Amino acid sequence: MKTEQKVHHFSSGIKLESGAGLDSFNLIVETYGELNSGKSNAVLVCHAFSGSHHAAGSASTDKKAGWWHELIGPDKAIDTNKYFVVAPNNLGSCFGSTGPTSHCEKTDDYYGKDFPDISVLDWVNSQEMLQKKLGINAWACVLGGSLGGMQALQWAITFPDKVKKAGIIAAAAKASSQNIALNEVARESIRKDINFYEGDYLKKGLFPKSGLKAARMLAHITYLSEDSMNDRFGRKMQDSDSKVGETVDYQVENYLQYKGEKFSEEFDANSYILMTKAMDSFDPAKKFNNKLDEALKNIKAKLLIVGFKTDWLFPVDRSKEIQLAAMKANIASSYLELDGVQGHDSFLFRTERYENNIKTFLGS
Amino acid sequence: MQNPLTNIVMKWIEPDSTVIDFGCGNGSLLTELRDKKNILGYGIEIDQQGINECLKNNISVIEKDIDDGIDEFEDCDFDVAVMASSIQCLREPNVALKKILNLSNRCIVTIPNLGYWRCRLALLLGRMPVTPSLPSSWYGTENIHLCTIKDFEDLCNNEDFIIKENMHLNKNRQESSLAKLMPNLLSCEGVYLLAKK
Repeated sequence: MKTEQKVHHFSSGIKLESGAGLDSFNLIVETYGELNSGKSNAVLVCHAFSGSHHAAGSASTDKKAGWWHELIGPDKAIDTNKYFVVAPNNLGSCFGSTGPTSHCEKTDDYYGKDFPDISVLDWVNSQEMLQKKLGINAWACVLGGSLGGMQALQWAITFPDKVKKAGIIAAAAKASSQNIALNEVARESIRKDINFYEGDYLKKGLFPKSGLKAARMLAHITYLSEDSMNDRFGRKMQDSDSKVGETVDYQVENYLQYKGEKFSEEFDANSYILMTKAMDSFDPAKKFNNKLDEALKNIKAKLLIVGFKTDWLFPVDRSKEIQLAAMKANIASSYLELDGVQGHDSFLFRTERYENNIKTFLGS
Repeated sequence: MQNPLTNIVMKWIEPDSTVIDFGCGNGSLLTELRDKKNILGYGIEIDQQGINECLKNNISVIEKDIDDGIDEFEDCDFDVAVMASSIQCLREPNVALKKILNLSNRCIVTIPNLGYWRCRLALLLGRMPVTPSLPSSWYGTENIHLCTIKDFEDLCNNEDFIIKENMHLNKNRQESSLAKLMPNLLSCEGVYLLAKK
């Protein structure tokens, strides 16, 4: 699989939905496969909250596996023998695209807490600038899961002529009250970390690691299903020689401690707050009197909406809602309800049927 | 693969209309209607193979068990709904029909006729009928609300469904003048275009 990584610089900057702007910005992008001569085989994949531009490729000694490596690759659901897959890291994230940990020329310091608020629409607008830069007139498809699915939906709404198909997976047309509540608990644990300093920790050479870790531990639970946790950990006790901490009794505790710790070493606390806020505020129907079908009525892309039965973060009814609104607006749209055992995270894992359905949708 | 129903319903469907097909299978009817009448079609299907075929044919398909109810579609508006060979499998076919006619202007329904002479003969000989329109054995069938042509037309009368068009088919699923003559005895299957009063 031909893989390239590149940092694209946009010197013209971008005006954001909030009214603020960035004078210039970078997007770090990985691509897989080759763009055909007609530039008609490009597929944009949008990452979820904690994802990055590293979407495909198996793990190696110096690199983790891509977050969607089970679905992207030669002969996989998103077949890199056929498609040129473009995977950017989102603005405001912390893996190489401009975000709170980036250097701000104006202040000659980190952006930190002063990084402007970002929305799903801002991401889509920045991705459209990337599309132009790559000389692509229309994506063959935009696909994403969770927060990535929200971007796919926003793409279809905002740029009807620039996307032929959209795969909206394990997503919702807006965050629920419960979604916002869970995000707020996570944010609060970050804010209350003694090293947070109102978001100014980088300037002091500090990092609110324990707050970020607790936030991730909570969020991680919401990505799994009760059954998958029971199957994997049950009430099994952790061996004392492999405990990550003295307080750990059960395997599930050890797992969350380990995952939280790892995440807190990789992710940025301001990015966490920024990106969960983007998720919370996503609501394309808001400008249309809360009528989602009105928001969708100019879509030209064919939609595939996929929900997973064990997902309780964005339950299947949230996916169904999008398809129903699309149907009401006379937009071609399909809805699939897949089994997936991993809860919300199911969208990351290959099953025969999932692969088959995505492959067929892309090829149709 | 040609869906035998297509030729029959083709003339009942206006160009550019929106069509919802409950139990659409592989989407063959919607595909043909799209190609010949430029309709916008949505198929409802639970079978995974059928769903994937629909995706392949570029037909919008919604994964759903119709028996769980169709209330969620009540805000939608279609020109035509199709209910082919599945109304007799539903828990409350009369309620379902009423709901379908609330969300579409017209509804095309097919009914396997239990009054067909072969069915009557089978029962006379002490056996459950197995015919082209009722192909399954008694233990394998999903049919729970079988009726005759007369029974169905009574239901339409009682529920104020207007029969706009009808057609009575022989065992080869073709229009037949013989079946038209005495539909309750000689037709294997009835096809109806219903509207609300």
